[in-house]
Amino acid sequence: MIRIAAVGDVHLDEEMSGQYRAQLGTLADDADVLLLAGDLTKHGTASEGRVVAEEFRDVGVPVIAVLGNHDYHSDEADKITELMRAEGITVLEGEGVTLDCPGGRLGVAGTKGFGGGFAGKAAPEFGEPELKEFVRHGRDLAARYATALTGLDADVRVGLTHYSPVKDTLAGEPPEIYLMLGSYLLAEALDDAGAALGIHGHAHAGVECGMTPGGVRVRNVALPVLRRTYGLYSLEVPGED
Amino acid sequence: MSAQEPQYLATHLREALAADPRTAEMGVRVRVHGDDVYLSGEVACAERRERILQVARELVPDRRVHDELSIAHVGGRPEEERLS
Repeated sequence: MIRIAAVGDVHLDEEMSGQYRAQLGTLADDADVLLLAGDLTKHGTASEGRVVAEEFRDVGVPVIAVLGNHDYHSDEADKITELMRAEGITVLEGEGVTLDCPGGRLGVAGTKGFGGGFAGKAAPEFGEPELKEFVRHGRDLAARYATALTGLDADVRVGLTHYSPVKDTLAGEPPEIYLMLGSYLLAEALDDAGAALGIHGHAHAGVECGMTPGGVRVRNVALPVLRRTYGLYSLEVPGED
Repeated sequence: MSAQEPQYLATHLREALAADPRTAEMGVRVRVHGDDVYLSGEVACAERRERILQVARELVPDRRVHDELSIAHVGGRPEEERLS
């Protein structure tokens, strides 16, 4: 088995420094890796990025993160990424990474992802340049994510995004804003890669459990949804007894 | 914020609480009844709750702002879900 801890939307700022870290005492006993599903800061400032880097450094297991929309709010996402990487945290955007865990080889590909909507209700790349740009941003990120996922040389593939790949986990959010909460292209990437699990955040009013059309399990790990320090998921490795 | 139809005021206030860098809270629900403004939803800590109330009172100084916010408590050792 490969054991995955995951959380998103911790929204840390200077006032919250140390509070989340204090809950991570049993993390290394529970899990092989910690995945962070974006919105790690409140306003996306470098100063908050420093809090995030301190909070998740040396927690006893490798930490793999994507950023969320909040982390881009102050145009300091590059600096936040740099601060996190300096503390040994892997930050993914359209890339993948593999880890040798005791249970097998885990591959994780990640992207912030974007809105755009879900099959049948998705925004088309048509009309005003502003709208086309919105749709294109989501398509570009999803395409790089798909390539990164299929390129993972691993026993088990896991996808990590901030935005949601499915509608299932948005239940509780107003349907009018689904377009802003995720994109079916992220689910298609999980299905095409035969992923074992898709992790996302962003939808604070949603629910934890969902599934892609191709049967890949999806978990919304936004902290207000989990109401626990992290979600903990163990995955069977193919060929394992 | 000037006096206006309650649904517009509620929406403007909600958007202002998201955009104001002191609060940047998107999860605050706002209801307006007459001169009363009710704020509800969950926030991460007591400081954030106070700041939301302070900013809201600045934005609508001529109305009574009621605090129905709550603070999220997160903790405890998570249970494992086995996906097979």
